[in-house]
Amino acid sequence: MKGLFRHWITAAVMAAVSGQAAAASLDLGRIFDVGRDLRTATASMDENDEIAVGREVAGRTLGAAPLVPDPELQAYVNRVGRWIAMQTERPDLPWHFGVLDTSSVNAFAAPGGYVLITRGLYEMLDSEAQLAGVLGHEIGHIVQRHHVKVMQQSAAVSAGARVVQRSDRGLLVNNLVGTGAEVLARGLDKSAEFEADRIGVVLAARAGYSPYGLVEVLHMLAARAADDTSLALLFKTHPAPGERLTQLGDALAPRVAALPAGKEPAIRRVDPNTPPPAAAKPAPVEGARALQQQEEGGTTIPSGGSSLPGGSGILRGIFGR
Amino acid sequence: MISMGRVLPALCAMLAAVLLVPAPAGAQQVTLERDSPLYAEPRLDASQVTQLKLGATGEVIGKQGAWLNLKTAGGSGWLFSFNVRFPSQQAGAGDSGAGSAAGRLFGPRRNVSVTSTIGIRGIEEEDLRQASFNADQMKRLEGYAATRQAAEQGARATGLTPASVEYMDAKK
Repeated sequence: MKGLFRHWITAAVMAAVSGQAAAASLDLGRIFDVGRDLRTATASMDENDEIAVGREVAGRTLGAAPLVPDPELQAYVNRVGRWIAMQTERPDLPWHFGVLDTSSVNAFAAPGGYVLITRGLYEMLDSEAQLAGVLGHEIGHIVQRHHVKVMQQSAAVSAGARVVQRSDRGLLVNNLVGTGAEVLARGLDKSAEFEADRIGVVLAARAGYSPYGLVEVLHMLAARAADDTSLALLFKTHPAPGERLTQLGDALAPRVAALPAGKEPAIRRVDPNTPPPAAAKPAPVEGARALQQQEEGGTTIPSGGSSLPGGSGILRGIFGR
Repeated sequence: MISMGRVLPALCAMLAAVLLVPAPAGAQQVTLERDSPLYAEPRLDASQVTQLKLGATGEVIGKQGAWLNLKTAGGSGWLFSFNVRFPSQQAGAGDSGAGSAAGRLFGPRRNVSVTSTIGIRGIEEEDLRQASFNADQMKRLEGYAATRQAAEQGARATGLTPASVEYMDAKK
């Protein structure tokens, strides 16, 4: 009975988040928040926590690079992104998509539905199917809660503060997020990136696009020089594009005949009157972050921990005879 | 009255022309990343033209879905695109990769203003670590959100039809 009630409340809170519920649901949400078992609540984040954490990470990322000042472009990317997100099990998260005004080539996912792609990557793209593949990869991270899992592992180290955090979502968020948007600078496990690639291909196909847009983007990234500074962060936080192509090819090969051809519509270009992005300036250290830095206390995140078969063995693969 | 006998072959030819995207001018040389068969058609069950070895090279003359149409010393045919790599571009040699062989094949085809990355510092690891919340930009981001209806309408206008596709597992 208790479990049922809990689910019902959670559903009500989710509905409130998606803007469909009356104010009464919010009151129920508050009762639930206060009344919930502190021990259980710290062990697992609910969806509202996830969204609050993601909003904080996304807001800080926007502090590092603002949005491209092209409202039509931003609205377009939101329509495309939302359409792809609607093909997932979490269609009604508060999905937000943005193009960051930086020459770096990268894309980021923050928990709860925030997806940011850089102008440097966007301007490499030739079709909406390629955009769909990139957004689908990031949406995959969010649907699978990849960053949330990493943050929870990190925060578990400072377990002492957790009961206090439960009474204040702001404290919980700050403890989970850490300093700045460092969670996006640290990257994820290789296996999480390969999984997001597979999801990106599937979501693009579900949305009616060619499944191979992401593959084309990976080919372009693989051809970029390893010492290209605009890709430094992407290459640091992701497996090499060639390795991603190999993994994705192996997973896709048995399915390739059955996948729909899909469409490759033209992509909307950045308004040519938009000035090129300004050079990034590191933000000054301020008050709110001083607290987080105190709490940081040397937590370590497992990265690249999954050992995947590499080298010549896997290169032989399916088509090699 | 137009007879179907005349229209159908013409339609088929048009469809083939749409499906087979010709590579833009300029040779796109690729290198085999693993031993792979070259097929007569872009299908795994098509007959094999030849068996190519790791390190073999070919010229891309077209693409279709997961496949690249290759011209090689052993003949022309179709290769699973995951099994090749494009030549690496030198840093600073082009603006955003659009000048690389992969960029010429998959990158922007039209003459667009590509942001020059030379000399402009983008966001780096340290920028993310030091970043603080930008409330004004967040307000903008939230203002651009698309409703389900807007997303569906956009997809319809683009001619997209949703398809049922299962998630994929990693290769065991």
